[in-house]
Amino acid sequence: MSITLNIPTVNDELEDFNTLFQLWQQVGESCSNVTFDFSKCVFLKPNAVAFLGGLIRFIQSREGKTTINKDTLNKKVKMNLQQNGFMYTFCEDKEPWQGNSVPYREDAKQDKDGLVYYLAEQWLGRGWVHMDQNLRNVIVGRVWEIYANAFEHGRTDIGVFSCGQHYPKLNQLKLTVVDFGVGIPSNVRQFQNKPTLPVDKALEWAFQAGTSTRQGGVAGGVGLDYLKKFVKINRGKLEFFSQDGYVAIDENQEIYQNRQTFFQGTLVNITLQCEEALYILASDADDEEPLF
Amino acid sequence: MTPDEGQKVYNLTYPELLANRPVELDFAGVEIFASPFFNFAIGQLLRDIPPDTLNRLLKFSNLNSVGRQVLKRVIENSKQYYSNENTRKAVDEVVSEQANSL
Repeated sequence: MSITLNIPTVNDELEDFNTLFQLWQQVGESCSNVTFDFSKCVFLKPNAVAFLGGLIRFIQSREGKTTINKDTLNKKVKMNLQQNGFMYTFCEDKEPWQGNSVPYREDAKQDKDGLVYYLAEQWLGRGWVHMDQNLRNVIVGRVWEIYANAFEHGRTDIGVFSCGQHYPKLNQLKLTVVDFGVGIPSNVRQFQNKPTLPVDKALEWAFQAGTSTRQGGVAGGVGLDYLKKFVKINRGKLEFFSQDGYVAIDENQEIYQNRQTFFQGTLVNITLQCEEALYILASDADDEEPLF
Repeated sequence: MTPDEGQKVYNLTYPELLANRPVELDFAGVEIFASPFFNFAIGQLLRDIPPDTLNRLLKFSNLNSVGRQVLKRVIENSKQYYSNENTRKAVDEVVSEQANSL
């Protein structure tokens, strides 16, 4: 079956994520030929870039053919997609270049060193926010755990997709990480053997410190808790979209909700503030105390 | 940083610690830390080695404050996890024995 996906302007408000997930729903399981039409698109935020890249690979993994209709791209959108490497990945020879974009990235398999470089140098290391090396390493370690979770728990066939952006006028750094795997609520329901557990309760459980769906008798559940704490200190925001669930965490709230629009995998949207004063590295580990 | 890397460390250290031999883990040059590694490398040790024994035999060198912070959190979490698991197993065993005797 052949379809044309009309890609509209996509920001990163809640309704924009609905738009992205509806595109995935249009593709379904039986599309053999998908054309991406950007006639109605004047802007694409990095969440859309990461998602569309993953959607293309999703279609291709099901032996579908994908075409980006380059003639429908407006000049600004095209330049942004060229700068961040999306076009180079899918349909052009023009190599990406440095600007305010954090490159579009695909990780079919977990590439620990590559991801560390991406986060440390291409996202945090560009001079947009001044922080010491120690703090940068803390943030890289925390955010890396999102990728680790996607590979360990997501059961994704096609890997993980990322893209980011620096917004100088807003003083913000954004990063989106998306997988087309099995989703957090499914994992939690299966782990707890509670197939009817409501999605908001499943997500709330997943985000508690010390909880993990890891099998095999090894403890887990520390990584997300750390990231939550960091985002609150930074006055940033952490959003998770997984199946029909939504989590939003910032300094004022932790929301766990049901949503109307379903997406099988997990999309994480991270917003950090670039103000130097909001990067506080507090250590609560006393060197003199025994570790165990 | 990865579970696999952590498991390799565990596989090397566990037999030594069980044999009551000291182990030193040197983190020189390591700057980025993630909990999956520590869960597998160190957290697992708490499954059947008491904390006092680990404090006595297992030493960490060149572990910076960031790494120490993550490690401490993993250890706290693992202690709870394995104490719950041991409690569960103990209860299961008793229940099973009782069932067999009926």
